[in-house]
Amino acid sequence: MSAAETHCVPLAQLRRADAARFGGKSASLGELLAAQVPVPPGFALAADAFTRFLEEAGLAGRVATAVAGLAPGDTERVGAVAKAIGEEMRSAPVPAAVIAEVGRRYAELGRSGEEVAVAVRSSALGEDSEEATFAGQQDSYLWVRGAHEVADAVRDCWVSLYSPQAISYRARLGATAPAAMGVTVQLMVDAALSGVMFTCNPLSGDPSMVAVNASWGLGLAVVGGEVTPDYYLLSKVTGELVRQSISAKEIEYVPGAGGRGAIRVDVDPARREQPCLEREHLDELLELARVVQRHFGSHQDVEWAIDREGRLFVLQSRPVTAVAKPASPPPPTSAIELVMGTFGAGGTAAGGA
Amino acid sequence: MATSTPVGAFPSPYSIETPPGCEGWEEMYPYHAFFAEARREKDENRFWFWNSMHFPLPMSAFDVACIDSPYQAVGAWQNRVFAVPPAMGIDYRVVNGYIYISGNPVTDPAKIAERAEFFQRRAGYYYSNWDELYARWREKVQALIDEVTNLPVSELPEYEPDEVMFDDARNSAFIDLLDGYQRTLRLGELMWQQHFEFLLLGYGAYATFAELLKSNLPDIPDQHIAQMVAGIDVILFRPDAELRRLARLALASGADAAFVEGRGPAAIEAELVLSEAGRSWLEELEKVKDPWFNMATGDGLSHDYTSWLDDPAIPYASLIGHIAALRAGQQIERPTEEIQRERDRLAHEYRSLLDEQAQGAFDELLKLSRTVFPYVEEHKFYCDYWFLTRWWNKLREFGALLAAHGYLEDSEDIFQLGRHEVAAALDELVLMWATGGEPLGPHHWPPIVARRKQLLARLSEWTPPPALGVTPEAVTDPMTIMLWGVTTQRVKEWARAAGGNGNELIGAAASPGTVEGPARVVRTHGELADVREGEILVCTITSPAWAPIFSKIKAAVTDIGGVMSHAAIVCREYGMPAVVGTGRATSQIRTGQLIRVDGTNGVVTILGDSGA
Repeated sequence: MSAAETHCVPLAQLRRADAARFGGKSASLGELLAAQVPVPPGFALAADAFTRFLEEAGLAGRVATAVAGLAPGDTERVGAVAKAIGEEMRSAPVPAAVIAEVGRRYAELGRSGEEVAVAVRSSALGEDSEEATFAGQQDSYLWVRGAHEVADAVRDCWVSLYSPQAISYRARLGATAPAAMGVTVQLMVDAALSGVMFTCNPLSGDPSMVAVNASWGLGLAVVGGEVTPDYYLLSKVTGELVRQSISAKEIEYVPGAGGRGAIRVDVDPARREQPCLEREHLDELLELARVVQRHFGSHQDVEWAIDREGRLFVLQSRPVTAVAKPASPPPPTSAIELVMGTFGAGGTAAGGA
Repeated sequence: MATSTPVGAFPSPYSIETPPGCEGWEEMYPYHAFFAEARREKDENRFWFWNSMHFPLPMSAFDVACIDSPYQAVGAWQNRVFAVPPAMGIDYRVVNGYIYISGNPVTDPAKIAERAEFFQRRAGYYYSNWDELYARWREKVQALIDEVTNLPVSELPEYEPDEVMFDDARNSAFIDLLDGYQRTLRLGELMWQQHFEFLLLGYGAYATFAELLKSNLPDIPDQHIAQMVAGIDVILFRPDAELRRLARLALASGADAAFVEGRGPAAIEAELVLSEAGRSWLEELEKVKDPWFNMATGDGLSHDYTSWLDDPAIPYASLIGHIAALRAGQQIERPTEEIQRERDRLAHEYRSLLDEQAQGAFDELLKLSRTVFPYVEEHKFYCDYWFLTRWWNKLREFGALLAAHGYLEDSEDIFQLGRHEVAAALDELVLMWATGGEPLGPHHWPPIVARRKQLLARLSEWTPPPALGVTPEAVTDPMTIMLWGVTTQRVKEWARAAGGNGNELIGAAASPGTVEGPARVVRTHGELADVREGEILVCTITSPAWAPIFSKIKAAVTDIGGVMSHAAIVCREYGMPAVVGTGRATSQIRTGQLIRVDGTNGVVTILGDSGA
């Protein structure tokens, strides 16, 4: 695509190569849309919008100087710098051109005059900043309504790039390039339940399995580790539920008053120990796992949600990095030699002992 | 004996007390079968598990032949013929009538290396020439079956016929009688020898295939491995297939009206002979009987299990079920094409998940496993069912002879005497026949038989612990793992359960799904008739001959068995949950209790007394 002159494009126009400018999250959502995966519609804001913001507000040089030479372990100074940068950013205006573009794309998401609810998330550039923003934790703003509020949420995402954790992280890496990030804005899924899915078993490394975590309400509770979610292990080969454990899910996140913001509430006791997922959901997730893995050609860690009408959506997909490797396979040898091993009469360790 | 030092999580074999009223139970068993003081130091420090898979009930004196012979045979093949490197044979001990077993490991590395040379050469020969050797095996076993069926049991005549006088080659009847008994015993031993010729190697190939998959795909369900290997057209499915054919025939010819729920074989046949259609159906049944009714009514090595020929209640119950299903428009055929497709699909999918190197090993091992597996499934029909039911019947003929002379009250009582005691009784019988003197046998044996029947009845009330002695750090004996499914993990679960609250039983996840329902504990095939629609079968182990009741039950739980056990295979075919190898389901669960069977995770939970 060619969007160099604009900062903002619909997600459906993005492909893998756009990660450099729009961040990994936006680019992968574009890929998923191309693969016909149900992703809530939305748009992406390029990282250069952030650079422009710093420049127009005259903050670029000051920010660079402030973080230069910070010792990652010096939590007191890091904290003070983060606080100062955050305050300055929040009081600086978002560039008018960016506001206009965001406003226009936001308006396209709903019917005319409607203030639809959206999720605003950071879309980090490259692996390292991905982890850095993760360290910052504050990368998701949910149930945001109104063009003005969306622009504010975008700025909040930018600020999260200078959280104490994110600053420390980059300092530890010795990163010298100025930090930058894209932002993803998507229609909000009114999630009845949500969770995370791996297209393999990340614990054993078994590629024939799909592992699913699920809990009530918005995904925040699962991602943030605030609940022990239900756990399902499914065979890709037969679709069988190989293992499951149903937990007491004490809390959930739901939209706040007037459908603005997300609030944490206690789960009604009757629903706590009820399994979240029905067999049909598991089948859909399984199929989704197959499609996503095939499309990216690698194992994926997928954030998903099911709305109150029972529709499944993918909110994010990223490669699984740390997969356990199954025990090394036996060396190439004849079947009979392998069987000898079982009876303790061969050099291989297969079975028996 | 409560002063014994407790060892591990299981009771010391020397701490087990005799249940009240069972004093003297030892008289039924050979002198070498006990936890004796002379072996205490060794025996107390070994791991023994209750072989409830083969011996779910207290053993009668004669049935000890079905302990001695198989363990002679399995030991001879494993230890002396194939010389399996880390394992010699299996020792057994009797505790209150129940059989505990323990493998003898080889630990000296030099010895293991020495044995490995034998093993590689000999096992390699078998694997390389499997089909040819197995074809010869079938002939040998068939010859044994024919001989035991046709072996004459001589009557003792008032006067010997002229031939004994004039034909030099002809013996007196008493020689033929004693020879016949000895030959019957020997035929049993010969059968057991054949039984184990291929079994170790068959299981070994399968275990290796399973290990290859598990090392690459750690979460692969055992049942999928079994499905990839299992035969489609195995002999064990044939008897039920023939019953389905007979059911269709009855319906097509109009002979089906005789098959009324609750009717026994005699009543059904009495009605069938009244019509032309019924009579021709009975003719067809006769053709099916040989050989397909040579199924046993149970899977234990006990004289209690007769064949369908002797007791057709099971096949008739199955016919009634099949006919009712056909009338209701249901499909009763085994979906063999579907099973075949699924088996090939699983193999294809799992193979594609392996890397190239492992794919090569996968192909070879799958091929080998499929080559050897028919034996693993078929030997049961030939040996355990066909031969053994004929063998027990032959012994009943000797029992009838002893009963005719007053040595026993009933032919069936022969099984209360040890095989050497029977020989002694026959010795006296022919002696008194020869001398015309006053026999003591009629005074000597009947009270012994009566006492032993009472002992067995009392001993059957006792619940044996799943294991005795020291908890092993790891179970390494390949046979213990492959044949009994007793793995390190299983033993740890037993040990944990020994100290737990007992409401949860862990076993192998044999067939997926979760259901709740009332339990029906079945320890003998005689109790099968009590099974009601919708109950969960809880048994020591099931037999293929039990197939008909699987259409009634909701799930199955067994004490012993792996994912290749009969219960597991049948439950997967019926799509109902099964947990096998729980170690203690029949002793922990009572009939009528509400239980939950989670066949996906291998957990059985006792929820409480239903309706209470």
